[in-house]
Amino acid sequence: MNLAIRDIRRHPAPFAISSLGIGLLLTLVLSYAGIYNGFVYEALALINQTGADLWVVQRDTRGPFAEQSRLPEDVRYRIAIVPGVAVASPIVFYTIQRVWKGRPLRIAVVGYDLHTGVGGPRQIVAGRAISQAHYEMVADQKLKMPLGTKLRLGLHDYTVVGLTHGIVGSGGDPVAFFSLADAQEIQFVKDNWAIRNQRQRSLDAYTRALPTQPTLAAVLAGNFADNPDLHTVNAIVVRLDPGIRPESVAAQIDRWEHFTTHTAEQQKQLMLAGSVALARRQTALFRFVLSITAAVIIAQIIYTMTLQKLRSIALLKLIGAPNRTIVGLVLQESLALGLISYGIALAIGSQTYDLWPRRVVVLTADKLNLLAVVLGICVVASIMGVRRALRVEAGTALTG
Amino acid sequence: MSRATSVAVQVENLTKVYGSGHTAVTALSSANLVVHAGELVAVLGPSGSGKTTLLSAIAGIIDPSSGRIAVGGSQVYDDGWRVRDLRRFRREHLGFIFQSQNLIPFLTARENVLIALQIRDTTGTRAIRAAQDLLDYLGVGERQHHLPEQLSGGEQQRVAIARALANAPEVILADEPTAALDTERGRSVMTLFRQVAREKNSAVICVTHDERMIEGFDRVYRVRDGLVFDDRTPGGVDAKAGANGERTF
Repeated sequence: MNLAIRDIRRHPAPFAISSLGIGLLLTLVLSYAGIYNGFVYEALALINQTGADLWVVQRDTRGPFAEQSRLPEDVRYRIAIVPGVAVASPIVFYTIQRVWKGRPLRIAVVGYDLHTGVGGPRQIVAGRAISQAHYEMVADQKLKMPLGTKLRLGLHDYTVVGLTHGIVGSGGDPVAFFSLADAQEIQFVKDNWAIRNQRQRSLDAYTRALPTQPTLAAVLAGNFADNPDLHTVNAIVVRLDPGIRPESVAAQIDRWEHFTTHTAEQQKQLMLAGSVALARRQTALFRFVLSITAAVIIAQIIYTMTLQKLRSIALLKLIGAPNRTIVGLVLQESLALGLISYGIALAIGSQTYDLWPRRVVVLTADKLNLLAVVLGICVVASIMGVRRALRVEAGTALTG
Repeated sequence: MSRATSVAVQVENLTKVYGSGHTAVTALSSANLVVHAGELVAVLGPSGSGKTTLLSAIAGIIDPSSGRIAVGGSQVYDDGWRVRDLRRFRREHLGFIFQSQNLIPFLTARENVLIALQIRDTTGTRAIRAAQDLLDYLGVGERQHHLPEQLSGGEQQRVAIARALANAPEVILADEPTAALDTERGRSVMTLFRQVAREKNSAVICVTHDERMIEGFDRVYRVRDGLVFDDRTPGGVDAKAGANGERTF
């Protein structure tokens, strides 16, 4: 006969409310693990979905995600002829923020070469991939743009022709894929007003300089064209022939082409060692504090529950119940409270994580870790109650 | 000696002093008491006279200051020594019934009896059957699935008696078992005690201050100011007692 279950059965409402409260607290503990995993997922999402073996970036930079990197687009041809390279394809990556339908809209823009397809969306969940060189885009579902939506960016409207699911930039912003040329244009080409203003400023400077500084005026005259170099990319992504070691090709590119090359693994480590590492420490601290809070609350509840049945415990002692029966009663109630709260946390989490603004990824390992922590907390939290229960004199049952 | 005539409880020169020095209070002074198996004995006295102290000492709940106590041949206390495993001693030799809140509130009537059986390692269908038999024996078999709060005071006492009988104890210690009951139900409980003492051959020591109930007992001890007196017959003083009525067995 399980005394703990029978005690809980007699007063189910307070026990259920306590379980719900602790369950919500454990939801937060679990969520912080999920949020950290979400940071990792988001930081690595584009790297993973690109599927590159090497990332060639501006010399001595850690681009293109952890740091800005700029390369001439035609570098791709030099990289492509390095032995072992199967495909070298340019990629553009940057984040923009616009207002769309009255709300701020942040988009992680990815421009890729439509011919190689490297860096483009791997899986389209609705619609199709980009098939025209211009004015089409594939948006992630998180942008909440249905197929056929036209989005004005810079000088042109771009039509959503396909949707992806769960592709975000390292900052958690949903990704929109464009052709390389379109992405470059969105980034560098100014709208007509900006061009006219720039031309006017250049003309003013030229007019002021011409009478007294003809050399400077000649330089300024070159600005009239205001023709930005569109053929700049952030990285060249490389896929290697089968069996080729990425490190050997990377060393060759670094030595002869004067660029910096990161293997896919190094690229991931760059991301994880940066802002994600800070987030990890932050969330670990929160989880620790929340776990301690949960332990204190469980201890308090178990202690109170124990106090409420001291007379019953005394009675059990009086009729000869061994200590293990008393300890079992307190400990099992504590474990029941913890396990039910844990179940509530899992249920709430699984039903709500999709609604959270940023991705929450709860791994099986996190669930098992939390289960172990909860069981540990319950055992520790029940110590106070057990000590109190064992101090009760059997005579209390007689004398009240 | 058969159990029917054997000594179930023997208390010799039992003294209990609470506190020390100026604050010392003598709750019991050289108390003596003998109860045989199958006997129904009352310990009668006003509040604060030392009745519950006597009961607690017999149960091994408190350490007497001096004297000897033996229950069923086991020394509970012997001038400074007491049985090491008191809880095992209680579950093997004693049954308890007291005034109110006798039962564990979160267990049903049957479970309250079952827990006593379980503590003695009687489990499974055998334990359930034994619990049902005891509740039927005491006339509350139909109420076995009710919680204590759903039972009347008399029914609760019957369940408590059933639990006290669960381990077939040599001695049942009852502390004011009828105090919370009206006269009719009180008499009914006393009748049950008599029945239990006779049929189960258990010694029943019943502490009470309720003079109405003494006629049903085989013998009556009176406690006054820490002194224990024996009435051979209810209402009278034992002829063998000393000048002040004190008697040593």
